[in-house]
Amino acid sequence: MCEVRAMKVQEEYLRDLRERAEKALTKKAPLGPDIDLSQFYLCSPRERVEDVREIEDQLKEAALYAGVELEGEKAATYLQVDRSAVYERVQRAFQGKLEIMSSQEALQKYPELFEYWWGLVPVDADKYTAFAELCPTEGYFIRVFAHTKVEIPLQACLLMSERARVQSVHNIVILEEGAEANLITGCASVRGNESGVHIGVSEFYLGDNARLTFTMVHNWGEAFHVRPRTAARLGKNAFFSSTYVLLKPLASIQAFPQVFLEGEGAQATFQNIVFAKGNSYIDLGSTLLLKNRGCRGSSISRVCATDEAQVFARGRLIAYHDEVQAHLECKGMLFSPRAQIVSVPELEVHGAPRARLSHEAAVGPFEEEAVNYLRARGLKREEALSLLTQGFLNLDLPGLPEALRRYIEEIIRVTSRDVL
Amino acid sequence: MLYIEQLKVAVGDTLILDGVNLEIQEGEVHVLLGPNGAGKTTLLMAIMGMPGYRIVGGRIFFQGKDITNLDVEERARMGIGMAFQKVPTISGITLRTLGRLVLEKRGLTDALEETASRVNCLYLLDREVGKGFSGGEMKRAELFQLLLQRPLFSMVDEPESGVDLDSIALVGQALRELFERDQVRTKKRSGLIITHTGYILEYLNADRGHVLMNGRIVCSGNPRDLFADIRERGYQECARCER
Ligand SMILES: Nc1ncnc2c1ncn2[C@@H]1O[C@H](COP(=O)(O)OP(=O)(O)OP(=O)(O)O)[C@@H](O)[C@H]1O
Ligand SMILES: [Mg+2]
Repeated sequence: MCEVRAMKVQEEYLRDLRERAEKALTKKAPLGPDIDLSQFYLCSPRERVEDVREIEDQLKEAALYAGVELEGEKAATYLQVDRSAVYERVQRAFQGKLEIMSSQEALQKYPELFEYWWGLVPVDADKYTAFAELCPTEGYFIRVFAHTKVEIPLQACLLMSERARVQSVHNIVILEEGAEANLITGCASVRGNESGVHIGVSEFYLGDNARLTFTMVHNWGEAFHVRPRTAARLGKNAFFSSTYVLLKPLASIQAFPQVFLEGEGAQATFQNIVFAKGNSYIDLGSTLLLKNRGCRGSSISRVCATDEAQVFARGRLIAYHDEVQAHLECKGMLFSPRAQIVSVPELEVHGAPRARLSHEAAVGPFEEEAVNYLRARGLKREEALSLLTQGFLNLDLPGLPEALRRYIEEIIRVTSRDVL
Repeated sequence: MLYIEQLKVAVGDTLILDGVNLEIQEGEVHVLLGPNGAGKTTLLMAIMGMPGYRIVGGRIFFQGKDITNLDVEERARMGIGMAFQKVPTISGITLRTLGRLVLEKRGLTDALEETASRVNCLYLLDREVGKGFSGGEMKRAELFQLLLQRPLFSMVDEPESGVDLDSIALVGQALRELFERDQVRTKKRSGLIITHTGYILEYLNADRGHVLMNGRIVCSGNPRDLFADIRERGYQECARCER
């Protein structure tokens, strides 16, 4: 009897989602250029592989450029190409401690998890969320069971290999109470110059005392539009660190993730590291909702912009409790007179007059004095500029494991070398 | 090694050096004296070729070649190097990273830590260049980089000012090393050092001293004699002196 009712609740919930999505299919997002999704086809299915060695070299290489080493030693791996999960694996040592699979598969396997679907991101937020609900093309589901601490990173990689397609993934990440994990995700187009759209809905649930460092590297092409829709909910003393790295040009990206710091002492930090080139239109930010005693947050962005690139660096801090503290920081460096960086900080306090919110922003050209200093040491002008860029983008990333930090530094180093 | 003829240098619209003549032979180390604001740093910057220091007259020759119109990195590659008085902060780049790059330019990979230890910079290697360095640390970090660079012609801007008594010996030793020959047959190194105190003369045999005032070199001679005279009579006398 109870089960029947549960099924009914689930059915109704899912039907309601679909109805809301249908109504929102033409709803424009408030930020970012509008994309006519009807210009794109849904991406095609791909065959599964059982062994990592069967994955085509071209895909492995694309993954690598987005920071994912498919053959590396990882706790777990998820690889999706176009609309199919082609490879999933959990290292033997972690079997029974964590799960990784496509989100559609997870929903079938564990129907009771349906409440996590669109639990944080409204399905009718805009046409992109609506599309992701109505035309889903997988996405990953990751669950780390209570009190499991996984130091070796987990990795997920989403690739697109066809032209003029839209990939609309829905990712769910659950860290149960006391669980700890490091997740690396890489998203890339295999053929750099094709057009396409990537919609990525991601919902993160961190239980009490859970810790997640999340690192995302994007590597799209100049004709690619990207619309991540991300939200996270943090329990008591949970810690969430999100680092986003975008160093290659694309047509447009717009994302404004939200973190609900619900539990006492929850902490969230966002780092955006962006090198905007070509005609890239980049609108990135994060919103931290600090709801409980002792919640802390920071949102830091480092943006370099050159060519005709346009960047909006947003940050929004909202305090609902007196004993919270959060800081926004945006530093921008301009390399071209036609490039633009707009910093948009917002601090809001709701009935919590003693909350401490602050922000700091600086946008300007690179320091000519420093360039000349380095040239006097025998560096060429280009070498000096790339060294300064590298230094500028190198963030002190709190709570990031040493290996991850080195890995991000390496991506920045390599990119800075040929930026100018 | 270095020959300067009627050099005029402007910063912005202000003429700072108005006809400097100077010659430094291979193997010689000279010191440059002069009151605050005389233009000593300006002269070094102009020899280095730093943008912003506009050469509006005269010429600079290095090893017989006219370098007046060469840019800073070309001069650095020819073997001119400088320890700066004011150092910018290079955010996100450690002294180690920069040191490695400087060494790479000479085709070397090791010797970084060993060199650092000689100027007491080991503990600074993993700090960001210039960030929060104290006065003395700044000086040592500059000398450290210069030692890695090993220029044929080194210019050092006030190596001893702000340096504690213990470190002065270190700095003196580093300077001596800077002007040592690698091998008997290689070229002798030379340099130009700005000093207000003359302390470094205790560590280094300077061949000649020059007093810079009012945009010109007004007096040249044995550095110890010059110091003795200035201590006694002040710079004002230098301007009048007919030596
Ligand atoms: N960037 C600048 N803009 C304007 N004036 C400058 C600039 N750089 C130097 N000057 C001026 O040029 C003059 C010479 O400066 P310089 O730094 O060469 O003096 P100095 O002899 O090295 O003095 P000190 O002993 O104090 O180091 C000073 O009057 C200084 O104010
Ligand atoms: Mg000076």
